[in-house]
Amino acid sequence: MTSSHAFRRFAFAYGLAFAVLYVVALKLDLALITVYPTLGVVLPGTHHSRDVAGPSMAFLAPAMYWYGWTATAALGALMFGFIAALLPEQWTRRLWLGWFWLAPALAMIACVYLTMPWFRL
Amino acid sequence: MTTALLIIHGLVAVALLGAISHQTLATWAPAHARPGSFFSRFRAVPSASFANAIVVLYAVSALLGGIVYLYFRVDIRPDLERAGHWHALGLFDLKEHFVAIGLALLPAYWVCWRRPRADEPPRTRGALTSILAFIVWWSFLIGHVVNNIRGFGS
Repeated sequence: MTSSHAFRRFAFAYGLAFAVLYVVALKLDLALITVYPTLGVVLPGTHHSRDVAGPSMAFLAPAMYWYGWTATAALGALMFGFIAALLPEQWTRRLWLGWFWLAPALAMIACVYLTMPWFRL
Repeated sequence: MTTALLIIHGLVAVALLGAISHQTLATWAPAHARPGSFFSRFRAVPSASFANAIVVLYAVSALLGGIVYLYFRVDIRPDLERAGHWHALGLFDLKEHFVAIGLALLPAYWVCWRRPRADEPPRTRGALTSILAFIVWWSFLIGHVVNNIRGFGS
């Protein structure tokens, strides 16, 4: 019974924290890893081709950040989830349940805003 | 190999689309005891029984999409950039973001359906289901558009 309640707190906190942290990671470009699929290389942290070579590197060795943003948000959300699981039930009951669906919905709207540059090209 | 993965990804997505559509409609517009029309029968499903399948299908679809995405980035996206399909690339970026957010919602979604609390408002469950349904439909349609962008009608 207790573990079930703890998992419930973990699940809700994880979903909420991930949504917020994903937007933060996307906005600040905080990728835990950078993947270079043509080279088969995964580097820790965020790497842009202009950091090490000319801009043409982006065409020769395209970098992928989505995995890194997801990993950043997942890692941070795991911490929030575990903390929430350890908190007493009374503390978390005070939180409005609507946040658990409103936060992801707002995060999706924020993602739309951050993707707008694609539509101005 | 990539084509096979993409086809499996598509088939899993179709199954997911059907399951989440049934559940969403059954949640917001439950059918009467004796459904008569096709639409009524479509929404007359035991919603909670779909939750496990939806979680598994979503996770598998996201995993396959994550693998296929590597090939997309190398083989497809440069061509789309050269052809100036910026809107399609923007829509596809949104699909990535939405799918990641949806993936993280799965534990809460599962808890809402399979371990509901008596004092929990059904609106939370309905809202989470609707967000996932939107993500699944968006991903399916945008994935389909990007996949066919150089094909029929281009």
